[in-house]
Amino acid sequence: MAMTAVARETVFALRRQIAKIEGTLPERLAAPAAAPLDADVNADVTIVRRGIAAALPDAFLPIGVERLDAALSGGLPKAALSEIHGLETRDAGAVAGFALSLTSLILKQMPGLPVLWIGTSEIFREAGFPYARGLHASFGIEPEQLLFSEAPRLVDALWVAEEAARMTALAAVILEIRGNPQRLDLTATRRLHARAQAAGRPVFLLRQAAEPEPTAAPVRLIVASAPAVPRGTIAGPLAGSIGRPAFTLTIGKSRTALPGQFTLEWNPDERAFDERWGDERRSEGRDRTKNPVPVVSLSGGGKNPTPASGAVLAFPAVGLPIPPAARDQPSRPQRTAHLSPRRAG
Amino acid sequence: MISHRDRNAQRISALDERAEALHLKRDMGIADARAMHPSIDIVEADPEADRRLLEGLADWCDRYTPLVALDGADGLFLDVTGCTHLFGGERAMLDDILSRFFHQGFDVRAGLAATPGAAWAAARFCGDCIVAGGEEEALLAPLPLAALRIEPATRTSLESVGLRTAGAVMAPPRAPLARRFGALLLLRLDQALGRLDEAVSPRLPVAPLSVERHLAEPVTLTEDIERLVGMLAATLKTDLERRGEGARTLALLLFRVDGAVSRIAIGTSRPMREPMLIQKLFHERLAALEQDIDAGYGFDLVRLSVLAAATFDMQQADLAGEVTDDGADIALFADRIRARLGEGAVLRPVAVESHLPERAVATIPFTDAPRRTTPPKKPDRLQAPKTLFPPERPIRLFRSPEPIDVPATEMPEGPPLNFRWRRALYRVTRAEGPERIAAEWWRETGSDEAASTRDYFRIEDADGRRYWLYRQGLYGGNSQMPPRWFLHGVFA
Repeated sequence: MAMTAVARETVFALRRQIAKIEGTLPERLAAPAAAPLDADVNADVTIVRRGIAAALPDAFLPIGVERLDAALSGGLPKAALSEIHGLETRDAGAVAGFALSLTSLILKQMPGLPVLWIGTSEIFREAGFPYARGLHASFGIEPEQLLFSEAPRLVDALWVAEEAARMTALAAVILEIRGNPQRLDLTATRRLHARAQAAGRPVFLLRQAAEPEPTAAPVRLIVASAPAVPRGTIAGPLAGSIGRPAFTLTIGKSRTALPGQFTLEWNPDERAFDERWGDERRSEGRDRTKNPVPVVSLSGGGKNPTPASGAVLAFPAVGLPIPPAARDQPSRPQRTAHLSPRRAG
Repeated sequence: MISHRDRNAQRISALDERAEALHLKRDMGIADARAMHPSIDIVEADPEADRRLLEGLADWCDRYTPLVALDGADGLFLDVTGCTHLFGGERAMLDDILSRFFHQGFDVRAGLAATPGAAWAAARFCGDCIVAGGEEEALLAPLPLAALRIEPATRTSLESVGLRTAGAVMAPPRAPLARRFGALLLLRLDQALGRLDEAVSPRLPVAPLSVERHLAEPVTLTEDIERLVGMLAATLKTDLERRGEGARTLALLLFRVDGAVSRIAIGTSRPMREPMLIQKLFHERLAALEQDIDAGYGFDLVRLSVLAAATFDMQQADLAGEVTDDGADIALFADRIRARLGEGAVLRPVAVESHLPERAVATIPFTDAPRRTTPPKKPDRLQAPKTLFPPERPIRLFRSPEPIDVPATEMPEGPPLNFRWRRALYRVTRAEGPERIAAEWWRETGSDEAASTRDYFRIEDADGRRYWLYRQGLYGGNSQMPPRWFLHGVFA
């Protein structure tokens, strides 16, 4: 018995080793492989799984859109290289915007850490240099948190990226490269991926005007801009205005290999993504975005004292129609605080 | 033989021993010299190159003393006070200098004395002699007046009254001499005799700390140099610890066997004293300079100097012996990047108070890691005023706005209907604006172009891309120029 346990442990260790070499996540491999084993062994498996279950929520960055997270099997891998493609150089705004919104999501979990943006001189000349004021307004990234590195040659940019990818002191590394240079091959991306895995920090590889080619990145997303919805006012959408940034996202490659196309909208006030549905589901989507908080708050000792799940609105929320009653509601933590003592009594 | 042009005639400015043997002299016309010896080889003088050579030699002389000064076009002053014992005494040091120069192919005269003036005279007029303190007078007395470093005009007038040696000037009463020949004469005399101090101003600032290692066998491999840097830095560490400082600027001097000196400087964004880290930084720098540093026959002296130091903040390590400071990691990372790719390789944006979008953010080279705990902000004038609806700003801005062709606008003051940018046509579906941003009148702009106001529009094209355009100038305005359109940035 003990022998089999030891042997199994060795097998798992080897599997993890293989998974590490192959660049896949060990828990993904271990779980299905262990399933058909007999009940005696299942005890061992549950122990292994429990250890991994603790690691799981941390391994993925949920994007916050259910359908997309499901297609990516839980979100974007956090400790990995992720490719974000733009089909043309003029899509640089959308590609950078999407990467920055992901960075913004990461910064929600690790506030205060700096972000390094590496680019070649060519891309900064062709697509524009990141503008700190705009980044602050749209993604909540403070200028003090930003570091830029501009390298005249691709080799240098890759070197900087490799050095940066292993730093745990950075929240994220963004490497922006144009076209399909020969140097950015499987080996170079594998190096980046391995370092990102070791450091546990994401590296976003933005590729402008690039053809998909084999790389070590587990996920490839193709981003284009989508027409924005008009700005919402209390009197309804304001015709002719340009609302929140919207992206059309296509999964080019992922662990689950599920295809999918999504239209996401970035909410700069809450720093979160919303999915925008197609026209046929527009009304349903509208209901979803409406504040579901009842106009009159429930009494504390009522039948259903679930915490109200209203969206907590940041102050300059221009885009969302706010019901007049919802505006008078206290924010979520306050609300639960005043509810709990009553429920006790 | 080297010629130079003086008063419209080619003259000899310098000549070698073999030319001297032919009875050619300085300042002789080239035509005369040619007439005497048609086979002589004449080279045009190149004072710039001479200067560079002298500077190179001065760099090399750094191995003897940090205080090296240039003296005219053909001399060097070395202040060896306190340095001679490192080379085994004055005579040994002088011999070492002379033999090394000789092996490099230079014909050098040297003199060593207690005053710069006496040493100058000794080097030029008696050759390779050492003048002990107090013997300056005996040395100078028989020498011609030229040994006193005085103007040629003064010298000729002195000679015209029969004062031909330095000794002759020392003897007579001083007041009449000063009245007739100027104060400089007596000043030079006093300086040479040590009655007045004369400061030799060194070429380079003296490093507060430096450590060096003479090598019996020259090194050529970069790895060896890096290892040496590590060893030197370890020595440096104790000195820095004693002073409670860390290095901000470090220079590595590599003295090649044949006299060439390579100077490699690195800057750190935080005071640093850890030998491993210093070695790492030099590793990057040396890797970047691999093409430029020619080891040749090897380096026989390696010196590491601290050019600038700053107070070192000691950090308390936790019980596991680990100092958790992300800022230090980033500072080191930035230093390494900068060591390899240059100062501008890591940039940090800074908000500037300005209305013009391109001026509102400046990027500066990274100096220190952004602190996690920002100090309480004073009423910050650098931040844009907090308005309820802050103006939308793009996420990417072009370094210089790109001109676009706008064939038509709906209204003269309105947004364009379509535009052509980088040879592609874009159809505008929606537009917001204008947001008028005026030029900063309090700034000298120079051109009328830059001084005109801009009307910014936020537009979306048929594919959903969002751009930031502006029109410079007004339709039907006072200016003669028609308004022009530019694309300044892109939105997410």
